[in-house]
Amino acid sequence: MRPLLLTLVWLLASVPAHAELRLQLDSAGLTPAEQHVSQALLDEATAALPPRFIERLDIDVTVRWSPDLPAQAYGQADPRAQQLELNAALLPALLDGSAQKPTSRPHGSQRRELLATVLHELTHLYDRAHLQSPEERLLAMHCRQQHSSRGVIGQSDACRGQSQRRLTLADDPRLLDLAGWQERAGQRGERDHSNDQIDRSPDSYELSNPREFVAVNMEYFLLDPEYACRRPALQRYFKEHFDWAPTSQTPCRNGLPYMNAGRDFARQPLGSIDPQRVYEVDYFFADANEQWMSRWGHGMLRLVICAPDRPLGPDCRLDLDQHLVLSYRAFVGDVQLSSWDGLTGNYPSRLFVLPLDQVIEEYTKIELRSLNSVPLLLNREQIEQLLQQTAQLHWSYDGGYYFFSNNCAGETLKLLRSGTNHPQLRSLDTILPNGLQAMLGTRGVADLSVLDDRQQALRLGYRFDSFRERYQAMFQVLQERLPIPQGSVEEWLDLPASQRRLWFAQADLRSNAALLLLEQAALRRQLLLAQDELKRNYLNPSAATENAAWEQASQTLQNLLGESGFLSRPAQLLDSGYGLPQDSEWQTLATQSDSHQRQLRLLSEQLEEQIRLLLEPARLAELESGKANLQQLNTRLREQHKASGGLTL
Amino acid sequence: MRFSLSLVILMLVCSGAQARSLAGTSDMLLRATDRSLNFTSDTTTSIRDMKLIQAARDDAASFIASDGAIRTVQLEAALQSLREQLPEAREATDAALAQAILAH
Repeated sequence: MRPLLLTLVWLLASVPAHAELRLQLDSAGLTPAEQHVSQALLDEATAALPPRFIERLDIDVTVRWSPDLPAQAYGQADPRAQQLELNAALLPALLDGSAQKPTSRPHGSQRRELLATVLHELTHLYDRAHLQSPEERLLAMHCRQQHSSRGVIGQSDACRGQSQRRLTLADDPRLLDLAGWQERAGQRGERDHSNDQIDRSPDSYELSNPREFVAVNMEYFLLDPEYACRRPALQRYFKEHFDWAPTSQTPCRNGLPYMNAGRDFARQPLGSIDPQRVYEVDYFFADANEQWMSRWGHGMLRLVICAPDRPLGPDCRLDLDQHLVLSYRAFVGDVQLSSWDGLTGNYPSRLFVLPLDQVIEEYTKIELRSLNSVPLLLNREQIEQLLQQTAQLHWSYDGGYYFFSNNCAGETLKLLRSGTNHPQLRSLDTILPNGLQAMLGTRGVADLSVLDDRQQALRLGYRFDSFRERYQAMFQVLQERLPIPQGSVEEWLDLPASQRRLWFAQADLRSNAALLLLEQAALRRQLLLAQDELKRNYLNPSAATENAAWEQASQTLQNLLGESGFLSRPAQLLDSGYGLPQDSEWQTLATQSDSHQRQLRLLSEQLEEQIRLLLEPARLAELESGKANLQQLNTRLREQHKASGGLTL
Repeated sequence: MRFSLSLVILMLVCSGAQARSLAGTSDMLLRATDRSLNFTSDTTTSIRDMKLIQAARDDAASFIASDGAIRTVQLEAALQSLREQLPEAREATDAALAQAILAH
């Protein structure tokens, strides 16, 4: 019965044969010249519209110049009367041609603004008409039935957000995903009431609600040849909906721009990701540890980017220096990380782009947590669209960060869902990072089998072990090869550096290699002790906090944090353009980010010096002693290698 | 003195949190000694400069200390990269290359 039904619906939908949108100018009171320029404007608007728009919106719309609109308004639509009103105050300029002069308005001139207004208001009419394709009509019917029999809880994934639709575009779940009214995790399709994609908007009016978003974006889709470059995902959405796109398109800048928030302040932070060079995307998950913020672990994405000369393939998984990590983190600009502020979302959540080796080091060596990196099973199209969405968010998103409802797993899931439009992600509800990994596996979106063989997983980079185990293993090597009296790695690390050093002379190559890692562990341990010391000396309410050196270090840190804001909110560097930056904005970006980065480098060097002054002399001496141990081991390792006649790099 | 207090909390507590301003500022102290941890030499060649090789130094040490039992992707990446770039590395054993990385 299905084909027959489809045919029937198709017939119903396509009658009458020559229906189309007609714009009628209300010429009452207009001079012939005024009629002429008005008609020319309407003709141009009609010519700019997609053919399908005109065919499907089968109504007569009267267009009139109204003297009653507010001075700031260009126009408005009255859907009931099927009438469109333009501000009569703008007619004289249209008539004498002065409306063509370039202005600072987003569309370039007053006449273009009027044209955009006509398209904007017509889009509202189109949207309100709830025009459905035959497939959409069938889906809606099916979903309404399902909704009334099973309720919200029982609805299928395909029906999520479909059963209550009233509009052509502005309540389409896909449009809402892309626009920034995201589904909330764990709330059965309930969406955010506000849009956090606030940066680099062409017109902040679009953020008022999804209907205005659609109307504003149609202006740019139809009139701006750079729309496909600046908002690629939305351009694709409109193009698919209308099965048409404007012919005039500016070629886009190659690659997606991003700011690298890595801590190497000596490098230029502005970079560009070529989606064609991304082999795979992994779900990158850091195990939980004891601290309350990370009790559930942290979920990130890892981009497996191939080295420039390597063809796309499994070998790219070893190009570790090319890989990037996308991580949602709270941006702590000037306030403290207290549990209270974290819970209430006082820190803006931002998408950080970080080098892989730094992230691995932070988790495995500093926090002593392990990482899993499981490939997501995405096709090329899904990968490319995910990257585009990532870039879009990187340049526009500044969200509230809530540890419990809007934590990193929720954000990562939203990014995955809106980016890939993967059917298995539509109804995935979880707010815990570890839960997300398991669910991605169950639904066939991630390949968890790479973790089955532990040795293999470590060797191929699907798993990165915490250094806690590594240090233990190194200590065992030491115990086997040297007659040390210490019984545990902790005891060894507790020894003063000067006593550990006594064993270096009799160590062979294997022991020396083990000693090298243990010395690093010892140095990190000293740093943690130094932190505790600072905490005791300066955090204690009874202690003298009016210490000048302390105030100075605090101020430097404050400046450093302020200065670093651009790395996670790069839109701050530009005051023109919207969406993804293009060639015209590149130079400004490069110069600006470079000078901020230089400032960061300066401040971080200052802070290092200032913090040293705060440490107790004994602690500082032990730190120096530990560093000297490392130097000595390095020298010994090099000498041993040279003596053995080994290969020199 | 809430101001100073907040900074300390940020600096001291944040190192263990997923919430941090940018990686590194939270654990400034640890960062401050990074240079001593990542040993750098006074002479440089293109191979020595390679990030992959530098990043694999700890993993080369683990490999040698454990007599090959601990074999990580960082080491694999460095080995692959050396064999791609250096003809003399192609014939060398994994252990010989790991020693070279450790001593570089």
